[in-house]
Order: sequence, then structure tokens, then C-alpha cells
Amino acid sequence: MLGYLLRRIGLAGLMLFGLVCLTFVISNVAPSDPAALAAGPDAGRSQIEQARRDYGLDKPLPEQFLRYLTDLAHGDFGRSIATGRSVGTDLARYFPATLELVILAMALGVLLGVPLGVLSALRKDGPADHATRIFAVSGIALPPFWFGLLLQLAFATWLGLLPTSGRLSVFTEPPPPITGLLLVDSLLTGNFGLFREALSHIILPAIVLSLPCLASILRVNRSEMVEALRMDYVTAARAHGVTPWRIVMVHALKNAMLPTLAIIGLRWGWMMSSTVLVETVFDWPGIGLYAVSSAIAGDFKPVMGVTLIVGLNFMIANLIVDLLYGVLDPRLRRA
Amino acid sequence: MTQDISRRGLMAGAALLTAGMPGIGMAFERDGNRKVLVFSGNQQVPVLDPHVRYDWSTRMIQQSVYDALLKYEGDPPRIVPWLAERYEVSPDGLTYTFHLVGNAKFHNGDPVDAEAVRFSFERGLKLNAGIAWMLKDFLKPENIAAVDARTVRFTLDRPFAPFISYVPWWYVVNPRQVRANQDGDDLGRKWLTENAAGSGPFRLRRFDANTLMHLDAVPDYWKGWPMADADRPSGIIYRIIREAAPRKAALQRREADIITNLTPDDIEQLSRVPGVVVENHKGSTTFGIKFNCQQGPTADINLRKAIAYAFDYDSLLAIHNGAAVLMTSPFPASMAGHIDVPGIPRKDLDKARDFLRRSRFPNGGIELEYVHVQGLEDARRIGLALLDSLRALDIRVNIVGQPWPTMTSRGSKPETSPNMMSVYVTPVGTDPDTVAYQYHRASWGLYYGTAHYENAEVSRWIDEARGETDNAKRMALYARIQTQIVADQPELFGMVANRIWARRDYVQGFTFSPVRFTGEIDLYPLWARG
Amino acid sequence: MSATAEETVAAPPRRRLRLALWLLSRSFSSMLGLFLVIAIVVLALIGPWIVPYPDHVAGAVSLANKLQPPSAAHWLGTDEVGNDILTRVIIGARISLLVGIGITFAAAAIGVPLGILAGLAGGRLREAIMRFTDLFLSVPGLVLAIALVAALGPGIVNAMIALILVWWPGYVRLAESKALSIREEPFIEAARVAGASRARILRRHVLPNSLSPLIVKMSMDIGQAILAVASLGFIGLGAKPPTPEWGAMISIARGYLPDWWWYAMAPGVFIYLAVLGFNLLGDGLRDILDPRSNRG
Repeated sequence: MLGYLLRRIGLAGLMLFGLVCLTFVISNVAPSDPAALAAGPDAGRSQIEQARRDYGLDKPLPEQFLRYLTDLAHGDFGRSIATGRSVGTDLARYFPATLELVILAMALGVLLGVPLGVLSALRKDGPADHATRIFAVSGIALPPFWFGLLLQLAFATWLGLLPTSGRLSVFTEPPPPITGLLLVDSLLTGNFGLFREALSHIILPAIVLSLPCLASILRVNRSEMVEALRMDYVTAARAHGVTPWRIVMVHALKNAMLPTLAIIGLRWGWMMSSTVLVETVFDWPGIGLYAVSSAIAGDFKPVMGVTLIVGLNFMIANLIVDLLYGVLDPRLRRA
Repeated sequence: MTQDISRRGLMAGAALLTAGMPGIGMAFERDGNRKVLVFSGNQQVPVLDPHVRYDWSTRMIQQSVYDALLKYEGDPPRIVPWLAERYEVSPDGLTYTFHLVGNAKFHNGDPVDAEAVRFSFERGLKLNAGIAWMLKDFLKPENIAAVDARTVRFTLDRPFAPFISYVPWWYVVNPRQVRANQDGDDLGRKWLTENAAGSGPFRLRRFDANTLMHLDAVPDYWKGWPMADADRPSGIIYRIIREAAPRKAALQRREADIITNLTPDDIEQLSRVPGVVVENHKGSTTFGIKFNCQQGPTADINLRKAIAYAFDYDSLLAIHNGAAVLMTSPFPASMAGHIDVPGIPRKDLDKARDFLRRSRFPNGGIELEYVHVQGLEDARRIGLALLDSLRALDIRVNIVGQPWPTMTSRGSKPETSPNMMSVYVTPVGTDPDTVAYQYHRASWGLYYGTAHYENAEVSRWIDEARGETDNAKRMALYARIQTQIVADQPELFGMVANRIWARRDYVQGFTFSPVRFTGEIDLYPLWARG
Repeated sequence: MSATAEETVAAPPRRRLRLALWLLSRSFSSMLGLFLVIAIVVLALIGPWIVPYPDHVAGAVSLANKLQPPSAAHWLGTDEVGNDILTRVIIGARISLLVGIGITFAAAAIGVPLGILAGLAGGRLREAIMRFTDLFLSVPGLVLAIALVAALGPGIVNAMIALILVWWPGYVRLAESKALSIREEPFIEAARVAGASRARILRRHVLPNSLSPLIVKMSMDIGQAILAVASLGFIGLGAKPPTPEWGAMISIARGYLPDWWWYAMAPGVFIYLAVLGFNLLGDGLRDILDPRSNRG
């Protein structure tokens, strides 16, 4: 087990290195002059050259790469060219917002996906089944950015029930971070007003982000359930008068747990990446919005930083799921 | 407020989740018995350091927390004394002596003295970023002298007529605070990114580069406040909302008191909303389409003229719903020395075809690239209008949005500079040199010099005008410069769009000055009635 | 697995197809998917001949007509430069469909050979290919695509290149696992012992067996690729104007919410229906062709 773990971690490290190389190559294929961006619009040649030296852009590419690697090893993501700010500091500021959104969306996906999947299986081929199946596919087919705009339009603009965007109202000063997750921090400090405010801001983006994940979980639970209901022992149990409800709770859900877990692992990294669209729509101050606004401006250091962070999340999530699989299902433990 | 109550009633009936939601339907926030005004725009303020960066949102905050020797005010813009109560210029135009007011204080209580001014200018020049370009070629750090506590003397290398027009953008930082927070020899650059060491009317309370700036009014600001003491707001929040629609909604729901970055189509809509006032003012930011004058088809002046005569200038006005003025010269009308150049091209297809026949492409049949800054909606729509106009000449247009650094990198050499590149230029001061210099040979390759326009005579006139101390002679030179540039058509002279804000009607003290950037306003005189 | 494999190899393709179609027609959601896909394909094919204002996708500008609400002349209203929105969404079907199919096929064309190679070759080559694939699989797709397009410059071709680059690894995985599982099958062993060449084994056994999951995956992926291109368009990194790409249209329409809300509706509905169609169809095909892999 330990050997397996070490091998996996080693592999993840190797992949992270690959990712660094990849992002570095991408950020240098652009035919752009980062120094001009750093120096600002009205800068003359002397300021541009100054900026080039300041950012080490005058060095040959291999040297820049080595420097980036050493900096990364020290936990330093470099400086954004457009703003001159430390990417690491910015990432630390924006990551909790994204994390909070992803966790909530994941929770919504599981809490709604599992029961809906069970329902669908119990009513197999009935109207409820067709409806949930189409709903499930819709979750994957709905363009999140468009659906987000629709929700914004309906709940914020027309009904006036929820705020349009952001994480908190402008007038609310966020509390000093404990975990950085506002919902958690507000509960920890017993500030229920803040909790409600944070919840009202996060709910729409979380719904939009949760849909694809919800759909996957729903489908897996449905198919596992359908399968389980076909099993001999279930039929036998039924014949012995065990209520369907009990069968669902005891047998089928147990079967569905592992695949659900696998989906959580897969979708975790995926959500971190697709949160880009949701954050753009809801002006959510997370790493996705940070990546997009930097990419549009042609500022690649932040994009590289976000890619690495999301990649890291991918790998860690997969690792954890693999390990949990091993623990939960000894048959799958690998040599 | 009655509407507010009824909405709360409705909300209580709605989902439990949203009941009692704060922040909705609220008027300006109160802090004690004073108000906090909320201004919303689309651009973040990543770096507050006044000597490192400026753009409209950044400078608006800088102007609020810092003071300069002089300040721009009003329309037409005037330069008024600020930290300096007066200044003198030597007859040879080389020495400028500023006399400081005696009562100015930094937020921490230190006096604003001549040494602080000297230090700030030296810092600006040494960092060689942001504002440095304005004075770098004419002023050496060692030629700034703190003569006594209240007198600073600048000695220029050679006469530079626009000097005074740049001084208002050189903000004064507190040397003691900067030195105390120095990291190595960075002159406090790291610290000043998110902190302020100024003497301005506002103090920095909260800095969140991507979300909001919260400024607190300094009650005993050394210069005093323009409004009655009871009306003075407790502070101002600059809130960043990237998209136009939520920003507009925020104004309508009174979550914001004043907003900017509106699309032209919003103006009409918003002006119909009760309680909303649209501020619509003639701007000074010119929009032009720079031709590559050295390489490719547009090196041919006849083709450039043909395009200039084929373009439908009215579309510029239509795109802006009339909130724009066509350019009648390379200079914006608000600029000193501006003249209406006779015969500046307007749409005339016969003339356009005439010029096209004299060009190397008598029948068109070419494709030209039009490059604009990625994400700039107006520039994209103008590209569509250009594409439509040039179909009459059988010239195709390839509209390309690119990130800023890619554009500037391409524009830096005639070989890679696009055929046509849309460029907005906001003059940084009131001096005509700011605009004229973009047509100087020395501007080749900079973002406003992507045309690589070459006319030795024009370059010489610009140099002459820079050093000319007789104002009448100077203005005559600029008239000649404008006429010649129009004749050479290095760019398609477009329009100057209006600057637009929308505010709640209770917001008082709004002042407009065309010398500020698009969106930027002076926060100092703002207050809320009632 | 071995039973299914032998069965699929054994049954003549035409009969299998007929069976599949029959099974498909029994499922409501699959039929809905098929209908939507056919509708989109038909729109894409005949679009230029049925749209009311064909000129409005080529860059005609009639600013006097801008932002009109839906009317008899413009069923879905007009956009910010006075172009007919209905015309633009219909022509947009062409672009989205082409791009979706293009990305999927290109990704499969890269991924499948690599996967089969890895699966059949085994050893160090397999290890190298699969590690490289894993690297790309562990990359956040959309973020990487955004970075790529931002670097290459916006435009539909660059968006496609970026998406192909993040899309192919899925096909390597699929083809590799199929090739790997088939390699162990007794009938392949038998064929190899009987002296069949590698190419023959590949053609006769591996490819047909990989086909079902491949078709299913590709059908789903066309939908997802359409969505991905629209997403890039929405961020502002998609098609160049005046190309009527759905995502880019929403991105612009977004600036005109809420007063001109109908502008954003049509392109969104079209994306939704197109992606829904391909997904439902893929789902239906999977139920028939590849029943055991019904996971997530």
C-alpha cells in the first residue's frame, strides 16, 4: 500500500513537471511583447526596456524557465506582467472563493443526484424516469454561461430575490479569514447574518456549476440501482416481503457508493476548470475569473499559476479516490 | 423607502433562503450618520503606487488618496494650485520654482514639505515606469532641489513647454513611510502596491484589487472640503463589476450610486429610469484607425485615401447613439491649438473610387487586416462598419481582436504592423504636444506610432513647437502640423466618443473634466443629498 | 466480455445495424436525440437557402435597425448592428456542427491509433504513450484551451486546434483499453498462432471491437465540442466577427441584458438543443451498442 502510494505521488510530481513545461511553452508561443504590457500604454522605449529587465524577460528562454522552476519550488508563482502583483498572493486570495463554490456545487450534486437516480430507477421507463433522464442530459447540455445568465435574469433582475453577482454585498467587510470559506467562517464565528448573505450570493453559481456533476451522479445511481434491483437476492428479499425502501437503502445505495465516489474524484478537477465560465458570469472572485481576465489581457503568469493549481487538484482528487477505492473495496487493491 | 418595505414583504413570502437578504433595495449605506457613496466601473485597480501605474480606475483612486503640486479641474480643464500655492518659470523656460502651502499634512501627520516633493519626483524618475516617460527626457533627478522646507526648484535640461501640463499627475508620497517600508532597494515599490502614503482627501481603508476599494474621507483634510460639513460623506467605495448588465442593475437597485462604462445603447434606457441622471459629456479620447504606412497595401497613400473616403463616418455616430463627435483634425476639439482642418475626408464613394483607381489596386480585390484590442466592443463594431463600407471597393476586411501585448508587439515593427489598427488615444495633459508627438518619427513602433508615419517636416515642426516659448508661434506651428497630417492620411480619423456616467439624482458635486481618462472622475467633491 | 466480443465480431454488420435501429426507435429519449441531431444537420445543410437575410452573416451593417424586438420581419429581433438574429443562429448551426464534428474526428484520428499502438505494443512504448496521455488528461481542459487560444490568437481555427489538443487523450484511453482487452482474448491468440499478421488482427478484430464504444463516445463528444467552442466564444476567444458563432453571440448579447433579453435567448436555446440532441443520441446508442459501460 505504502509503495503504491509513493509510486503514485512520484508519478503525480512527474506530471506536475510536465504541466509546468506545457504551460511554459504555451505562454511563450504568443507573438507578444510582455515587456510592453508591463510598462504600460504610454511608456517609451526606455521604460519598456526597464520593464524587460525588471521581469527578467531579457534573459534567454531556458534561463527564464529555470528561474520559474526554482521560484515554483519555493512556492513562488512569479509576478503578473500586467499588474506587477505576485501571482502566489493573488492565487491565495482567490482560491478559497473557488473552493467554496466547488464544494457547495459538489454537495448539491450528491444530495440531489443520488435520490433522483434512485427515484428514476424505481420508476424505470415511467414518465418520471424519462423526465429525470432528460433532466440529467440537460445538465450536461445546458451551456453553463447561458444558464447562469438566465438565472441571473430571473432571480436577480426580474424577481429581485437574489443578488446578481459577487461573493458579498459591497458594504459588508469580509471577516478575517479562518478557512477562507465564507459559509464556514460565518458559522464558526456564529455570524448568521453573514452566513445568509454569503449563501444568497453563492447559491445561483453553485446551482449552475453543480448541474453536470448532478447529472453524472444521477445516471450512475440509476444504472447501479437498476442493476441491483435485478439481482437474485433482491428479488428473493422482495418475495420475502422486505419493503422496497429497505432494499434501496441497504443494497442498492451501497453499490452506488463507489461509482459515486469515482465521479466526485473525476468531477472535482473538472469543476475547478469549468468554474471559469460560472465565475465569469457571476463575477465570482475566484481563480477562474482570474485566469480568464489575465488570458484576455495576454498576461500568462496568472494563467500558468491557475493551470498548475487546477492540475494539482486533479491529481490529488484522483489519488484520494484511488486510495479510498482501495480501502472500501479490497478486491480492487492493486499490486 | 416604502418600496423597500414592500419588497421585503414580498421576500418574506418567498423562499426562506432569501428572506431578509441584506444589500438589496438599499439606498446609499450609512456609516454612523454619514453616507458611503458607491461608484462602480469595470476596471480593477491592481497597483496603487502612483509612480508605477496609471489608468482610469487606478488614477481615480490615486487622485483621491494623494495630492500633487497642481491639479486639473473643470471643463475646459484648468490647472489650479494644490500642494503648491504658486510657481514661477524663468524666462528661458528652464527653471520652475514651486512654493508649497504651509498646512498640508500626510495622513500620518507628517508635514508635506519640499523634501517630500523632491523625493517623489526622484522616485518617479528612478523607477522609470508609469508616469516616468512624461519628464524623463527633460529632467534629471539631481536637478530637483529642495531649496527650503516650502520651496522646490526644477531645472530642466532644455526648454519643454508641456512641463506644467504633466505636473498634476506626479503625486507626492511620504518619504518617511516609504523608507520605513522599503524592501531592499525597491523604493517601497512592493509596499505601495496595496498601501498608500499620501496626503489626499481620502485614506485607504480596504484594498481588494479585483473587487473593491474602500476609501474613508479625511475629516480634517488640510485643504478643507467643498461641501457643507454635515454633507461630507464618510467615504467612497469603488466597486468593480465587470459586466455592464449587473452594473446597470446595481444602479437601478441603488446598490451603486454612480456607474460608468456604459454601452451607448444603455444611455437612452437609463435616462428613462426615474431617479437616474445620465452625465453625458464631450470627451477627449480620439479613436483612429492607424494604417501601416511603410509596408503592405496601405503604404500606398491613394489606397489610404480611398479607404478614408469610403468609410461611413455616420456609422460611428450611430454606433454611439449620437454620443460622439467626428474628428475634424488629428487633435481632439478640447485640445489647445485645435483647428478644423478643411477637407478632412468624409464618405464620398466617387472620390474613394477615384483614389482607388490611382492606387496599386485599381479594382480592389484585396483583404486587409483590422486589429483591435480583444474584448473592446465598440472597436469590434466599428470593424464591422469598416468591413461593410469597404465592400463598395471590393476590399475585404479581416477583423481580429488581439490582446494588448500582442498588438503592441506586432505594431512595433513596420514588417509586422497590421494594415489597420484601431487605437484610442487619451491625451494625458492639455498640451497639444501630447497628441502631436504620436506623429513624430520617434514614436515609431509605440502603440500610438504603429502607423510608422514618416514626414520629416512634420517631425521637425513638432520638435520646434516643443521648445517654442512664444505661445502664438507655437499654435501656428500646430495648425500646420494638423493640416499636413490630414493630407498624408496616416490614419483614418474617427471620432471622439462622449464620456458617460449614470448617477442617482441625489448624488451631488459631480464635476467633469475632459483631461481625466474615460470613466475617471474626481471623487473629492461628491456627496449625497437627503 | 468475451461473449459479447465474439458475438459482435460474428454478427454481420448490416443485421446488427438494423437491430440497433430497431432498439433505438423503442426509446423516446433516443428518438428525441435523433430528431434534434437530424434537425441541426438539416439546418446546417440548407441554412443559407432558407434564411431571410443571407447578407447578415457576411458583415452587412444596418445600424438604423439595431436591437429591434422580435417582429414579423425579424422573428427573433435584430442584434447590435442591425442583423437578423434568426439568420445568424441558423447559419451558426453550420459553424457549430462543422466545428463539433471536426474536433471530434481530429481528436479520434490522433487518439485511436496511439491508443491501439499502446495497447498492442505494450512495454516501454505503451508506458510512454500512456504517461503522456495521462499528463494531458490531468490538465484542466478548459483552462488549458483558454491559455492556448489566448496565446495563438482568437479565431475559430485556433479554438479548434486548442480543443483538439485537449480532446485526443480520451480516445487514447478508450482505444488502449479496448486493444488491451482484446489482446488477451482467446480468438486473437488463435489468430496469432494461425499466423495472421498484426495488420490483419488489427483490421479484423481490434477495430470492429472498438467501434461501438468509439461511436458512442464520438456522438457524445460532438455535443461537448459544440459546447466547448461556444464556451470559448463566450469568453471572447472564439470566432472572429462577423462569423455568427453561438457562444460569441451570447457573449455580446450579455452586454444588452436585461433590456434586450431576447438577443441572448435564441443562441442559447440552439446550443442547448444541439448538445442535448447529440448527448441523447449517444446515450441511446450506448444502451444498445455498449450496454456494460453505462457509467456516468
